[in-house]
Parts: sequence; C-alpha cells; structure tokens
Amino acid sequence: MKKLKLGGYLPGDSLIHRLDPRTKLLGGLAIIITILAVNSWPVFVLNTVLIFLVVYLEKIDFKAVLQGVKWMWMIILLSFTFQCIFVKGTPLVVIGRLIITREGLYLGVLTFLRLLILYLSSTILTMTTSPLKLASGLEALFSPLRYLKVPVNQLAMLISISLRFIPTIIEEAEIITKAQKSRGAPFSSAKKLVRLQTGMAVFIPLIVGSLQRATDLATAMESRCYTGGSNCSRLKKLNFGRTDLMALALIAASCILPLFCFHGRFWQVPR
Amino acid sequence: MPIIEIRNLSYVYHPNTPYEKKALDDISFTVGKGEFLGIVGSNGSGKSTLIQHFNGLIYPELGSILVSGQDTRDKDFREQLWKKVGLVFQFPEKQLFEATVFDELAYGLKNMGLAAAEIEMRVDEALKSVGLEPEQSRKRSPFSLSGGMMRRVAVASVLAMKPDILVLDEPTAGLDPEGSSHILQAIKKFQQDKGVTVILVSHCIDDLILLADRLAVLDQGKLLAWGLTRDVLAQENLAQYDRLLPDYLKMLFDLKKRGWVINTGLLTVEEACQEIAKILRRDGT
Repeated sequence: MKKLKLGGYLPGDSLIHRLDPRTKLLGGLAIIITILAVNSWPVFVLNTVLIFLVVYLEKIDFKAVLQGVKWMWMIILLSFTFQCIFVKGTPLVVIGRLIITREGLYLGVLTFLRLLILYLSSTILTMTTSPLKLASGLEALFSPLRYLKVPVNQLAMLISISLRFIPTIIEEAEIITKAQKSRGAPFSSAKKLVRLQTGMAVFIPLIVGSLQRATDLATAMESRCYTGGSNCSRLKKLNFGRTDLMALALIAASCILPLFCFHGRFWQVPR
Repeated sequence: MPIIEIRNLSYVYHPNTPYEKKALDDISFTVGKGEFLGIVGSNGSGKSTLIQHFNGLIYPELGSILVSGQDTRDKDFREQLWKKVGLVFQFPEKQLFEATVFDELAYGLKNMGLAAAEIEMRVDEALKSVGLEPEQSRKRSPFSLSGGMMRRVAVASVLAMKPDILVLDEPTAGLDPEGSSHILQAIKKFQQDKGVTVILVSHCIDDLILLADRLAVLDQGKLLAWGLTRDVLAQENLAQYDRLLPDYLKMLFDLKKRGWVINTGLLTVEEACQEIAKILRRDGT
C-alpha cells in the first residue's frame, strides 16, 4: 500500500480540519444542491471562489487533492466538448462542419465547473474529516429521526465500525494476497477461471478472519456493557463554535443570496 | 559465496505524505548458504518489511538485493522466486482456505506443477515433519483444527515446497511451549537434513540464541549488529536494547555496567553460571 487512496483522510490542524463535521456536511450539501439546481453565472463564480478558498485553507498540497482527478479530467473534457458542439444556437466559431455556439460554450463551462465543484467538495470533506468525526456528525444530523423510531445510535455505531475496519481489512487482504503469492498463487494467469479460483484463496481467509473479528468485537463491546441504547456518552463531544457559524454564514451567503438577486433575470441562459 | 546479499537497502512507506515512514535505513549484510540466520527486533523495527524483500514481494528502490547472485529488481526473476524462497508470514494460519489439510499443503505444490504422486509423497513427509499424523489429518478441514495445529499445517504447506531458502516471520508467536517446540524442531531438522538456508525472525533473542548461527539485530530500520551469535551478544551496544534480551543476559550486562570484566557472549544460563563462578574464584584468590 504505497499510494494513498483517493479522498482518504489526511490528518492536519488547519482551519478546515478543525471545523465541526456537521458544518462541513451541511456546507458541502448546500454547495452541491446549489450547483445542481441553479444555472446562473454569479452563483457559479461565487461557489468556485469559495471552494478554492477552502482548498487554500485546508493546507493540503493541491496536487494531492487533484491526484484522483486524472480520469475525472477525461469526463470533464468530454462533456465540455460535447456541450460546445451539440448545443444549437448562435454560432461563435465555425470549423468546417463543426459549429461551436455561444450557448454551447456557456453550458460547457457550467458543466465543467459543476463537475469540478462536485468532486472538490466531496473530496475535501473526506480528506479533512476523520471517519469517526464524520460518523458522529452524521449521527447528530440524523438524530431528529429518533422520533420516527429510527435507531440512529445503532446506525451511527454501524457506520463508525464499518469505516474503522475498512483499512484493517484492506491491510489484511494485502497480507493474505502476499502469503498466497509466496505459495505461487497465479494472480496474473491468462485464464479467467484460474484467476477466479486464486481470488477465492484470498476471499475465503478474509471472510473467516472478518467473522472471527466481528465475534471478538461483539464480545469486547458487550463486556463493556454496550447494549445499543441511546445512553452512550462520547469521549469527544462535537463542538459547534464561532468559526462554524461564520463558515455556514459564508456558505449561505454564496448559495442562497444570489438566488434571490439574480435567478430568472438577466444572467439566465439566453434561450 | 553468499546466497543472499543485501546492499545499502532502504525502504520508505507512503513517500511524500504525512504518513511517510522509513521502514529500512541503509541496511547491508549477507546470508551464507546453509546458514541459520536469526533476525531480531522489536515491533516496527522493519523486520517484516525486510523479509518480504527476500522472495521478491517487495523490490528495492534504494539499494539492491541479490538472491543466489541475481538481482530481485529483475521482474522475470522476481516472479519465479517463490519456488526458491519459501516465506511463512506472521500468523500463517490466517491464510488457510482449502477444504482439507491435504489440499492446503498441495496448493503450493500444484502451483509448482508437480505430478500427483510426487505431491502425495511430499504432503505426507511435510505433515510428519511438523509432528502431525498424515493418516489422521489429511482429510480433516483445516478450520476444525486448534490454533496450534493450524499453524503447523500452514508451516508444513511451505516446507512441502522444499525451498532452498526458508524465511519465517515469528512462527511461534502466541503458541504454547509444545506447539512452538514442534515447529522449531521441524525447522532445525529441515535445515540440517537438506542443507537449506533458514532465516527466522523474532522479537526476542531467547528464541534464537541456540538455533541461529548468526544474528542480525534491527532497531527502527537500522542494522544495529550482525555477526556470529556469540560475537553479537558480546557487543557493548546491545545493552541499551535490553528489552530484546533474556533475563540472564540482562544480568550479565548489568554486572558489566557495574565494572565487572565479563564476557557477555554466552548462549545458555549454564555458561553464564560458569563465567560468574570463574570471576568470583579469580577475585577471591
């Protein structure tokens, strides 16, 4: 495991790292909804500026943030090109039979920004929030569902445990793969059936190990009196502070205000 | 001529990220043919990373490793290396997956492309060598065995492949004395009968002191000491790593610190007793 996984948590102590997970979840959601629902220029410009401000503040190497986007660029560029070519309207540039229209260019740039912001906002969330914080943030946000008899605590525990064990299981899979390779397991065989059988040589021990670990974990939790109720307290309380309020205000300003000011008026797509 | 030659080997996990960790730092030593080498180090000293270099699971980016004279950076050589270098991972019972003990042992042999008769013979031989009765255990499911028996099956599955070099990562961790002596005896016998090179990793010198011809001591990715077991134990700088040492050696180093002129290159408690008695007699008369 020499390379880090795309969007994996990178520990740090930046302003963005220290924000409450609820702020980041709500903020990210707000930006995504705005970007998907609105078609006007100022909203896009504001949100793009906002997201790059966040990237600047999180103090993670920008290259690391864009590490996984190599294939994303393909999608982004393709959709940009198709929008430019296939949208009918006022011709802007004519190259032989290809006609790039003003409307097409406009929609192309919008799609480009839309995909970029979608990618960045979700990546920033997972890169700056530890899985446990993310789970407690989700629990806090979903807690009103308690009144509908949804077992929010248990669901949150489920999410935390799954997130917690993903790296462990990946590591174990790597070790078992290496152990089977040391016994000559043909992982790169040309025959599909052989490759499938070899996969089983990793899959079976992995399942056996996971079941064993789940049993042990259940015993360990029960011996510490875990009963799945809502009476569990937390070691680290979520703390919604002034920075969080400011961050949410900023996001609200860039997401909601432009709706009232510009939507449906002169910045709309010309039809 | 050495069968494994390690030259200035370094290895870094997750380079250029906050998780960056130097697992191995400029390590050089050699392993002779037919030798029993013990690698000692505490958790995180780089032992497990080092041994994965021996059978080509990891290949060096800085420095190099030659196995029987060939460089493991050569991809074709590296991919065939598992036939020559048998690697038993830590807690190898976690890798068991076949329906019967026989199939489990035959897995590596089938991958080597051996004939059925040869496989039968080798499976029985390997089971006997780790103290399991072939008739009783062949048809059993490996998952129905006790932890110690599963470990023995896993070790046997590598022994059956008859590698030229056998590498084991803490093969006795968490076993009772009976289980560990079965495994250690099988390993020693394997080395003596077949002239095989054995590399055994442990976090405690105690396990290795009587088995190993040579010791290599690792600490935080650096090679602290390497040489004949007695020479390594006689070294001054080993004292500061006393968490790796057995009790009687700790005492010898302690006496040395208090000004005794004492040889610490001793392998057993009896030798230590004699050495202390000798010094007391000399000082008394």
